[in-house]
Amino acid sequence: MSADPALELPLPGRVETGRVETERSLVLTVPDWSAVAAAAEHDLDPRTPVVVLHGGRVIAADAFARSAGVILGISKRAAQLRCPEARVVVWDEEVDNRHFSAGVSALEELVARFTLLSPGTLTIPLGSLRHGYADEPSAVEALISSFVSATGWEFFPGIADTVFAAVLAARQARRVEPGETRQFLAAQPIHALEYAGAEYAELIDVFGHLGLRTLGDLAALDAKDVNSRFGELGRRAHGLATGRGRTAVDDHVRSEQFGVEVGLDTPTTRSDTLSFLTRQLATELLTKVRRHSLVCTQITIELSAVGGQSSTRTWRIDDMNETSIADRLRWQAEGWLAGSAGGSKSGGSKSGGARSGGAGRRNAEAGDLPDPGPDPEDFSEEGIIALSLVAAELTTAIGATKSLFDENTGQVTHTLERLQGLFGPDAVLVPGLQGGWDPAETNLWTPWQQTATPARNPRAPWPGALSAPRPTTVEHLPVDVLTADGHPVGARPAGLEAEPRTIRFPVGGAEAIADYSGSWPIESGWWDPAHSTYRTRLQVVTESGRALLLSKENGQWYVTGRYC
Amino acid sequence: MSAVPLVEQLSREMGISTATALFHGHAPRPVHPVLAPLFRRGGLPRGEIVTMTGSQSLSCALATIAEATKEQKWCAGIGLGEPAVSSIADLGVDLDHFVNVVTPAQDWLRVASILIESFDILVVDPGYLPSAGEQARLLAKVRERRVSFISLAPAKGSTEQIEITDTQWSGTEHGQGRLRSCQVVARSQTGVHRFLLPGPDGTPTEVPASVPERMKPVIRSVS
Repeated sequence: MSADPALELPLPGRVETGRVETERSLVLTVPDWSAVAAAAEHDLDPRTPVVVLHGGRVIAADAFARSAGVILGISKRAAQLRCPEARVVVWDEEVDNRHFSAGVSALEELVARFTLLSPGTLTIPLGSLRHGYADEPSAVEALISSFVSATGWEFFPGIADTVFAAVLAARQARRVEPGETRQFLAAQPIHALEYAGAEYAELIDVFGHLGLRTLGDLAALDAKDVNSRFGELGRRAHGLATGRGRTAVDDHVRSEQFGVEVGLDTPTTRSDTLSFLTRQLATELLTKVRRHSLVCTQITIELSAVGGQSSTRTWRIDDMNETSIADRLRWQAEGWLAGSAGGSKSGGSKSGGARSGGAGRRNAEAGDLPDPGPDPEDFSEEGIIALSLVAAELTTAIGATKSLFDENTGQVTHTLERLQGLFGPDAVLVPGLQGGWDPAETNLWTPWQQTATPARNPRAPWPGALSAPRPTTVEHLPVDVLTADGHPVGARPAGLEAEPRTIRFPVGGAEAIADYSGSWPIESGWWDPAHSTYRTRLQVVTESGRALLLSKENGQWYVTGRYC
Repeated sequence: MSAVPLVEQLSREMGISTATALFHGHAPRPVHPVLAPLFRRGGLPRGEIVTMTGSQSLSCALATIAEATKEQKWCAGIGLGEPAVSSIADLGVDLDHFVNVVTPAQDWLRVASILIESFDILVVDPGYLPSAGEQARLLAKVRERRVSFISLAPAKGSTEQIEITDTQWSGTEHGQGRLRSCQVVARSQTGVHRFLLPGPDGTPTEVPASVPERMKPVIRSVS
């Protein structure tokens, strides 16, 4: 346990309590959660055996299927041979999560603090149960019986000194005595690391090749050696194996710890008032954060309006200080209030409003009096009633230091912030990629210094996604695609009904199509029944040599991308 | 055309590429080897305005900045609409050093003058043509900050003009295939060049020595 303090990223929960044994956890896991969720999703008879497939292999099977001989890892055909009456379902991450979160809302009534580790698995810090129950076994018994009656699921409990060990213990439904976690872990095979996260998969292979068969073998190595050979991930794996835990658990306590909020006596829409309050609030938050010798790199700002609406945005700020936080809050408030107040205002006047706000600020900086007349900073009649700031990402001071190799990032940041001040935060966008079939869907433009939030998983398979060369710009322009005799071109899964000859734009006339590609249908019904779409895509080259990506949706052709 | 090898030899052996290089004392930014012959000094010049016009000019501009962004140089796009991130990445641009600025078209000159202060490369599709005075001030600023300024519209005071005169897409095969590559003909001060932009993998590629029969472009057009 010779933990090098410099290598330890302090977990805020620890920083505050300063005690070591707070991590003792109870993990409850629903065995074969994917099968349970699939049965619920498809409304199956409880006695129907369920087998869940992913990538052609069985990844979950319920008790009936298992008793018929279905084991994990076999192919669909083998599973059907062993249990012909089984219902075979393809794994769907969304189904897993959706059904679990539905059940979890029932658990919120029963326990105050818990963290969801993965669909089907949750962890409860035992410290939070200490006051309500006499000892661990009675606590577990009481919790499980109330959970089972609330959700109807079967839970396996596991207790150990770290969350990771408790997850492993839950698979065997056992309790590890306090202090024996290390021995318990030492006996586990190295493959058990896969329960700590998919990122360890590669490392497990390497450890296996190096002859480390159990977690005990790994724990026996020197922490520094593991760190220098395998880097950060290796260090974490070593920490897990030695029972030091520290999987970065997203406990909601962490965010509440470094959060501050203030309610306003009278609602305000004035950004100078808001800025003033924000500075005080930010000072309070930053003092709190600094007292724990941490640095805040991302901050979540939440504004609440009189009518109960709220606006939440997360900002990434290098060199965070009170002024930069106040700026972000002002931008957010301006954009939000302008958007909510201006039902009649168009997008153009919205950016104009943001600009005039910036101009007002410049005047104030220059010492001039702000423009009298109608207050340009009064956006809405309702006003903001409460502000809250939450440190969304914390790191050690060394982690926030700029690299030597970044060239003039400070100046670039300064310039872009200035532009954001003039034209609003959404004027400066940085590119990112997310999942999707079309360039319009894979585009993820995020305002500078805000955290990108991909709506679709880029790692998930996107069958039928467009491959290179891809269009250079994205748009969504309705057009008519016509055959030689002037009829619209229909699309069927097998292909186009007729040869497209002409493309007619809403403005700018028509152009003859010189050549066209094969058409691909895309069915995205599985994504969300509410947004189920069926699309056909087509690439055409016009007579003038321009290439376009077209897409037919709900009977209408659109230009979705331009090669330019 | 014949001067290019000589210039290359000079720059390799004596460290002097051209009289302008001697004057400026600054080497141009590296570009993709396929695009290098387009430029007089084999790279994207600094402190000068380069124009790229014709179809596929945005792709050409993005491909040009790719090498520089990989060397941690910051690039901003102004007035480009909504570029497709996937194609930017395909062309080799480092996404961590690219910023797209979305501002009203009439403000492009103000935005550019702010960005010139700290950015290394600007790719601009001007929303309007600036007056002669504004143009001169912009040029002075570009020179002073040694920014590489790529304009997607003809601009006064530009030192290099690259015009894409012809594009031939191939691969669509009348409903049987899909777009594979585009052969472009670009005219610049160094002559007329022919290359694939984008090539089959999305990056600029040399024209294959012998085009296989099925890859032959089926359409031909002049814009």
